[in-house]
Order: sequence, then C-alpha cells, then structure tokens
Amino acid sequence: MLNQFFKVITSSIMKKFGMGVTGLLLCGFLVSHLLGNLLIFVGPQAFNTYAHTLVSNPLIYLAEAILLLIFLKHIGLAIKLTIENKMARPVKYYMTQATGRGSTFASSSMPVTGLIILVFVVLHILQFKFGAYYEETYDGVVMRDLYRLLIEFYQNPLNVAWYIFSMACVAVHVSHGFWSAFQSIGFNHPKYTPLLKCLAKLFALVVFCGFSSLPIYCYVQGAQ
Amino acid sequence: MSADEKLLTLNLKIWRQKDAKDKGQMVDYTLEGVSTDSSFLEMLDQLNEKLVGQGEEPVTFDHDCREGICGMCSLMINGQAHGPEKETTTCQLHMRSFNDGDTIVIEPWRARAFPVLKDLTVDRSAFDEIIMAGGYVNVNTGNAQDANEILIPKESADLAMDAAACIGCAACVASCKNASAMLFVGAKISQLALLPQGQVEAEQRAANMVAKMDELGFGNCTNEAECEASCPKGINISNIARMNKEFLKSAVKSKS
Amino acid sequence: MTKKLDSKIPEGPVAEKWDNHRFKMKLVNPANKRKFNVIVVGTGLAGASASATLAELGYNVDAFCIQDSPRRAHSIAAQGGVNAAKNYPNDGDSIWRLFYDTVKGGDYRAREANVYRLAQVANNIIDQCAAQGVPFAREYGGTLSNRSFGGAQVSRTFYARGQTGQQLLLGAYSAMMKETAKGKIKSHTREEMVDLVVVEGRTRGIITRNIVTGEFKKWAADAVLLCTGGYGNVYFLSTNAMTSNGSAAWKAYKKGAMFGNPCYTQIHPTCIPVHGDAQSKLTLMSESLRNDGRVWVPKKQGDNRPPGQIPEEERDYYLERKYPSFGNLVPRDVASRNAKEAIDDGRGVGKTGIAVYLDFADAIKRDGEQAIRERYGNLFDMYNRITDENPYQVPMRIYPAVHYTMGGLWVDYNLQTTVPGCFALGEANFSDHGANRLGASALMQGLADGYFVIPYTLGNYLASEGLMTDKVSADHPEFDKCMKESQDRFNRLLHIGGSKSVDTFHKELGKIMWERVGMSRNEDGLKKAIDEISDLRKEFWKDVKVTGTEVGINVELEKANRVADFLELGELMARDALERRESCGGHFREESQTPENEALRDDENFCHVAAWEYQGDETTPLRNTEELTFENVPLTQRSYK
Repeated sequence: MLNQFFKVITSSIMKKFGMGVTGLLLCGFLVSHLLGNLLIFVGPQAFNTYAHTLVSNPLIYLAEAILLLIFLKHIGLAIKLTIENKMARPVKYYMTQATGRGSTFASSSMPVTGLIILVFVVLHILQFKFGAYYEETYDGVVMRDLYRLLIEFYQNPLNVAWYIFSMACVAVHVSHGFWSAFQSIGFNHPKYTPLLKCLAKLFALVVFCGFSSLPIYCYVQGAQ
Repeated sequence: MSADEKLLTLNLKIWRQKDAKDKGQMVDYTLEGVSTDSSFLEMLDQLNEKLVGQGEEPVTFDHDCREGICGMCSLMINGQAHGPEKETTTCQLHMRSFNDGDTIVIEPWRARAFPVLKDLTVDRSAFDEIIMAGGYVNVNTGNAQDANEILIPKESADLAMDAAACIGCAACVASCKNASAMLFVGAKISQLALLPQGQVEAEQRAANMVAKMDELGFGNCTNEAECEASCPKGINISNIARMNKEFLKSAVKSKS
Repeated sequence: MTKKLDSKIPEGPVAEKWDNHRFKMKLVNPANKRKFNVIVVGTGLAGASASATLAELGYNVDAFCIQDSPRRAHSIAAQGGVNAAKNYPNDGDSIWRLFYDTVKGGDYRAREANVYRLAQVANNIIDQCAAQGVPFAREYGGTLSNRSFGGAQVSRTFYARGQTGQQLLLGAYSAMMKETAKGKIKSHTREEMVDLVVVEGRTRGIITRNIVTGEFKKWAADAVLLCTGGYGNVYFLSTNAMTSNGSAAWKAYKKGAMFGNPCYTQIHPTCIPVHGDAQSKLTLMSESLRNDGRVWVPKKQGDNRPPGQIPEEERDYYLERKYPSFGNLVPRDVASRNAKEAIDDGRGVGKTGIAVYLDFADAIKRDGEQAIRERYGNLFDMYNRITDENPYQVPMRIYPAVHYTMGGLWVDYNLQTTVPGCFALGEANFSDHGANRLGASALMQGLADGYFVIPYTLGNYLASEGLMTDKVSADHPEFDKCMKESQDRFNRLLHIGGSKSVDTFHKELGKIMWERVGMSRNEDGLKKAIDEISDLRKEFWKDVKVTGTEVGINVELEKANRVADFLELGELMARDALERRESCGGHFREESQTPENEALRDDENFCHVAAWEYQGDETTPLRNTEELTFENVPLTQRSYK
C-alpha cells in the first residue's frame, strides 16, 4: 500500500503537478511582492512602513518558511526533472531542429531562465534582506530604512541592468510557466487555454514592466 | 507523375549501426537521380538497391504499409521526426520537399526506452507494454450488449476518435527533448476516458499506464508541444491534460 | 486422382445451420482449456481477434507477427468501414439481404452456408467493437451512424472516419494486450513463421526465424491458426504493406493444405496511379469517393488537353453511360475492368496515359467545397501529398491496383484446412467472398472468423480428436528436420552469390503477373505466364544476390525468402486462371464474355471451388474441386445495368 502511494507521489505526473502548483503559488508571490514594492512610488515613509509592518508580524517567519519551502520544492523538482529528462535520451541526436509549430523560446529556455532567477533571488536576498541596515523614525517608531538602501544600491547602473535582465528572465519564465501549470494540473480547454496563453503573456509583461520600473525609479530618484 | 518532376542529387548522412551493441556512426552517401515524385522511403530503397549492387549491406529501416497508417516508419530527418512536413509520416513525405544538392541527415528515434537494433531500426515494444498496463476495456468477446444501447454524444465520439487516431509511431517521443511518451499515453487514456465504455476502469487505467510509462524510463513532459507539432495525426496535447486530470483523480480517490 | 472435397456444411436450412452446428460441436471443459496450446500466426483482424478470444476462453496462445508490434498488421490500412445488417437506418436491410448481396457480389462462387454465417455474426461484431471502445461515427442523438458503401443499396456500413480498419484492429489489439498482460497470450514480435510442422498427418507446430537475431526456433502446439492475410504482393505493386506475403500459407500448402481459387484477385478501382520505376507500392483511396466523384475519360483517343479544357460533350462518363442504374457505384471488378478498357482504347489521361479521371467538380458545385472537405478531406489531402495536385481544383487521376486476394487456403465450414489442426482465418483463407469481395466486407470476415467462429470450431477439433492426451513436443525429430530444412533454405539463398537484387526479380515477377494474370486474362497469355515465371524462378535460384549474413537483421534475406515463394505461388495463380475457363468476379477471361463485354460465367462447368494440391516441386499440382450448390440465392448473371 505504501509502495503504491510512493509510486503515485513520485510519478512523472505528480512531479509535474508539483511544478505547476508551486509555480502558480510563486506567481502569486510575485504579484504580492510587486504590489508591496510599488509603494516606492508613494514615498519613503509608505514603503518603509509597509516593510516594517511586514517583518514585525510574528507570522512572517511562518510565511517565509512556507515561501522557502515552495521555492525549494520548485527548484528541487526542476533539478530532478531535468536530470531525468536528460537520462531519458542517453544518446543524443546528431542534429535537432524544432518544428516551429510547437516549442517556443520561453518553453525551451525554462531551465536556463530558472537558473538565472535562482541566482538572482539568492543575490537579491543577500543584497536587501541581509544588506546594509539604515534606520529611520516615523511617528516615533524606529524602523529599517530600506528605501535608502534601494536608492543607494541602484545608483550603480550595473545593478539596474542586472535587475532588469533578471526580470526579463522572470517574464519569459512565467510566460510559459503560467499556462503550462494549468496544463500540468489537468486543465486544457479549447476556449480557455488560448485565453490562458494570452493571459500568461500579459502577466509576463506586467511583471516585467512593474518590477523593472522600480530600479529605474530608484536610479532616477538618487540622481536628483 | 506530376508535370514538374525533377531529378535530384542528394548528400545523405545516415546513422549506421551493425547491431544493438555496436557504437555506430554517421556515414556519408551520395545518391543521384532521385525523382521528386518518389517518397522518402522510395529514395532509401533506391539507395539500398545501389548499395546491394555494390555488394554493400543496405540500410535497415522500419516501414510497412507506406500509406501513413501502420505507424511502423520512423526516422529523424534533418533533426525533425518524420521530416519537415506537418502531419506527414516519413512514408508520405515526398522528395519534392527537398532541393537538388541538399544534405539530408537521417537518424533513428533516440530514447532510453527505444534501443537501436540496427541502423535506423529501433525497438518500440515499450509502447506495447504501456498498452498492456491498461490501454483497453476489459470486455470479453460475447459480453457486448447491442451497440446502440450505449449512447455517446457525437462530440465525445469525435474527440475520442481524434485521440484514437494515434498510430503508435513514437514521433512524439522522438521529437520531445525529454523523450517523454505522454502524448502517446495521454491519447489512449483520453480516448477511453471520453467514452462511457472506458469509464468503469478509468482510474486504475490512468494510474497503471502512467506507472508503466515511468518505469520504462521515458522523460517528463514540459508542455512544449513539439510532440503535437510532430504528430503525423495531429493529436492535441489537450489529451495530456486529460491524462493528468484522470491520473490526479485516481490518486485522490484510490484506496491504496 | 482428383478428389471431391468435403466442406462439412451442417444439415438444415441455411438460416439454422450455424445454430445447429454450434449445438452439435463438442466442447472443451473449462478446466481443460488451459492444457491446450494454440499458435496464431499473424495479428491482423483475424489473428488478433482469435488470439484474444481464445485466450479469454482459457487456451494458451502464442501469437506471432513479423512487425515490431501486433498493432502494425495491414488490416490497419482498411479505410471505408465494416458491414453489418443491423438495419438501424430502417432502410430494408436484413441478415438475409446481406447474405444475398454477398453471394451475388461474389458472383456465385462462395459457399452459401459460410456467407450466411458471416451475415449472421456481423451484428455481434459491431456490438463487440463498440463495447471495446472503438470510436465509431455517431449521430447527434448518440446512436451509431451508417453509410452506403461500395454500391450497396442500403446503408449498412459502420465506420470510424476514414480509419475503420485501424480502429477495429486497435480494438482487437487492445483485447489481445489485455490477455497478454494476464499471461494467457505470449506475443512474439518480429518472429516470422518459416515452416509448418506436420507429424503423422496432424499439425503440431511451426518453425520460426527471428528477424532481429536470425535465430530459428521450434514451437509445438495443439493447433495452428494461419491469419497471415493475402498474397497481393505477388504483383510487386499492390496496396498491400511491404511485408505482406504469402509465405506462411505457401508453407502450409507444401505440407498438404490445399490452395483454393488462387486466381481470384481483387483489383481496386480507386488507387493513385503509378508514377515511375522507383515506386514501391500503390496507395488506395477509399471507394467511398465514388459516391460523389464521376469517372470519365476523353471521348477522343490521345486527347491530352488539360481536363479543364475538355468540354462536357467531349467527355465520356463511361460508367454512367454503360450502367445507368448503378453508375459510378458498380462493383469493384466492373469499375476496374472498364478503366482498363478505356485506357487500352488509348483514352487514358495524365502524363503516363495510365489513369482515368475521378471528378468532383459537380459534387463541389452541388454541395459546396466545405461539404466535400468534410466527407473526404483526409483522402484529398493524401492525394495532394502524393501527387502534388489539388483535387478540389483538378480531377483526381485514378487507376486500378491489386488490393485483395479472395483466393487462399481452402478451408471447410470449420475453417480447417485439409491438414488437420491447421486452420486459416481472414484473408488467408479462400473464404466467403467468392470471386469478388464487396466493399466493407473484409473487416467483417476477419473479425467474424476470429471472434465468433474459430472459438467454437477449434474447441470441437481439440475435443473430438483426443488431443488431451495425444501430444507431440518440439523435441520430436520432425521439428528438427523442418528446422534444418528452413536453415538450409536461408543459407542457400544467402550463398547463391548472383548478380541481381531480390527486388529486381520481384519487379520482374510483378510485371508478368500484372500483364498476364491481371485484370483480364486469356489462354495464350496465361500459358506464357506459366513458362515465364518458371524461367524467372530458375534464374532467381541461380542469380539472386543477397547481401549480409544469417546473423542479425537482414532485410534482403527476409525478402528473398518471400519472393522465392511468390515465384511459385504466381505460377499456381496462372495455372488456376488458365483452368478456370470462365469469367467470374475478379477473374475475367477474355474468351468468356457477353456481347456487351461483361463477364460471362459458366455455371455448367465451373460452379465449383478449385483446390490445388501440392505434388512436389517438379510436378504439376492436382486440381481438386468442391461443388458449390445454390439453394437460396438463385444463380443469375450479375447485371448492374
């Protein structure tokens, strides 16, 4: 019985299901992260207060733990799937050529964009979560001045460029991943799937423009 | 036959491998006087006649009906399963799709589950094993009620037929960068899941066929749809989604 | 001494024969079935359905095929449909009418009792296939859809798009896989039967050669079922698959199984014409095309204007002209022969002049291009792919091609050949189609034999011959002897060291057969054919060049073995055609025709089956006969006027 259960949860389709579900959850994280960060445009106080509220809530540790787990699951599965997929064809073709009717740049570059995103996320956490600690006081409350860190960090155009490049990768990644997740969890519909594919592209565009606007804004703000 | 028949000279790069144990290598051939009206396999026949004439061993390749339905022919042609034309098997591919002086690279299907037996011939018995795991309705001869007592909405019957059109050629596996067999398996699970006859065993079927597919060492699907694009019968990847759904249903409901 | 054959037709009125017989046949106790081993050679509709059904009953089945999977068998290529007298459309069909049509369509050269049984079980086939999940075409209400096919006056054909054969075969194959999973069937792929082992007049097994390793093996069993299809590839170019061959049946013939009516071949009228010397096979297009297409040639000889420039009044719609009531839907043999006549008259079309037009312009004008696309889209695409011409704009060019062989191993009512324990099913037997097979009847017969006939008659054989205790194992010296002979034959082929390839001989044979034993035959031509084939055979054994070795895959060696048999079978076909000095169905003797050039039967002298008996390689085979009596369908001259 256990054996049967093990077979099911380790099956190819469950792995894909796991990829899809964690991927969609990460898309959700992207949205919430973007919405929060857009407060930069409102001003330092709004942004810093938002960040402070977030990290001073004790549930943040739970939330971070869950997010970490989702990330690790997504990455772990990706690595496992990629290795298995390489093993499924031990002798390579002499020549391969896409039909032009199936795979897209986004779909065939998922492992590469995924890897770049991973590097980005690690750096991103090091740069900000564990970056320089400035303080600021609003209405008598002492809190971290993340805003200042951002402005300073993005004075370096290389940092801006890397950020935008990484967001381009995220956008490409989700433009395939978003609709693909639905396919993996068993949803494909002659009417809604084409819609989902459009939605995926739209989502990618929003993610790219939304996030990329942030470092540019910081760069411009700092220069003044 | 067609008014503008031409004769081509072709440079062929063909995978030659003596037997399953041999390492194998690409070998170059030049073939002259290939009619644009010939099919791709007739072109290979012509090469083989030439090789036999020279006392060399002809190139072994799988083929049988040569009308695009038996699923026996295969071949990666210039890196594409069944060659460049949409919804066309190698046997139905005609030489008018090529130009004089072209170099054509011909390789066998490559997948861990499909060992090469000789030259371009591979062993696809893994597909039979998958069907054995549940690609059928458990009904013995003589048990059937009148055929019209099973009413099937036309739309379901048509969708089932779309999936059932699979010829088992394995172009889906060959063209998939992950050597995944999900389109093949999905098509069968889907066909039977769409019909009332297949409902009774739908859950075990999905679980067992997927388990067998995994066990045989096929890769995982990454939803790139190269399988659909290479499928000579144009089978849609919605069948893979349906398989995923059936499998997940079975995983949730199963008692073990 | 020629023999009169006993067909073992049961007593009673034709409609009750099968029921009576089923009751009288002996049964094998359920617990004893597992003690019997059955070999099934070939996994087409007949082989796969028989394997599955026998395994379900409890027999141990070894199924052999030469392809890489049982699913590849050439039954898969049948397009049109499968007949059954369900009378769902309420258009006046009945078992009796299906029986009547089949006997008449076969030009009164089939056994009434067999045909009636076929018509009876046809309904069960549809039920069985539907239960297996075969996605037959449906009406909006969910019921099964029917169409009229191949000139039938009622709509009795069930279909699954243009892929009915594929779907029925996959149904039978899936049933077979179900039993293989249970271990009741052992499926042996890429394993070719090379001899039948007969011990003391009883079939005891077969010898096979593994196509991948080249290894020979012995297999013992209580019965052998040959479901190996037809021998149309004797013509080199045919609509058969490349590996379709007559060798298994031929080995049985040489072991004493008589060969029935070898000259009956069906030439299908709607095939894509030959394009050149490199051509390897001919592609059939479903004759459902004739429901809407109009066949014509120019009235003038040598008129090579493009079809669009030939005005209406200069076209000869010869089928409509000669057969006003059936028009373009005349039976296959009639349509084929008329195409040949027009071409022999110098009115053929296309670059080669060996084709006639099948024109959809009127149908497109009447129903719209969309309607035609829905009906025939896949066929039009296929035509376009092969010929590079668009049939929506220019008429198709078609020409007849060898498609089916009605002849085959002679079997009695129980499907047993003249060697006890050796049965023949489907196209491999000489069967129920007489001298001409109607459209959508091949699938019906293959499945009838496998699903509903052999399960009963095989049990009767096993139970009544004391085979429970009377066993012969593969250690018997006869097995070693047969295996040695087979090995020697393959070795000999490999070491002739001649100068011509196997295909060269095969093409040469095909040419002789098509010219002289093709659509119309005459005494002079047939005599020449016999001599020419005999010479070609001698040359083959002296001058064929087979490359490679006996170990591992050697396609040339496989082909050489099959062509060697075709070179003998072709001669027998010519001999049979020569002796049958009448025209009937697919066999048209120029000496025997009506004043209007229609086939003229000679019921006085030829209302019988010719069953040829092997007498040794150097001796002319013996022509035995089975008299045919028609008690239910009165003998009349077929007329489609």
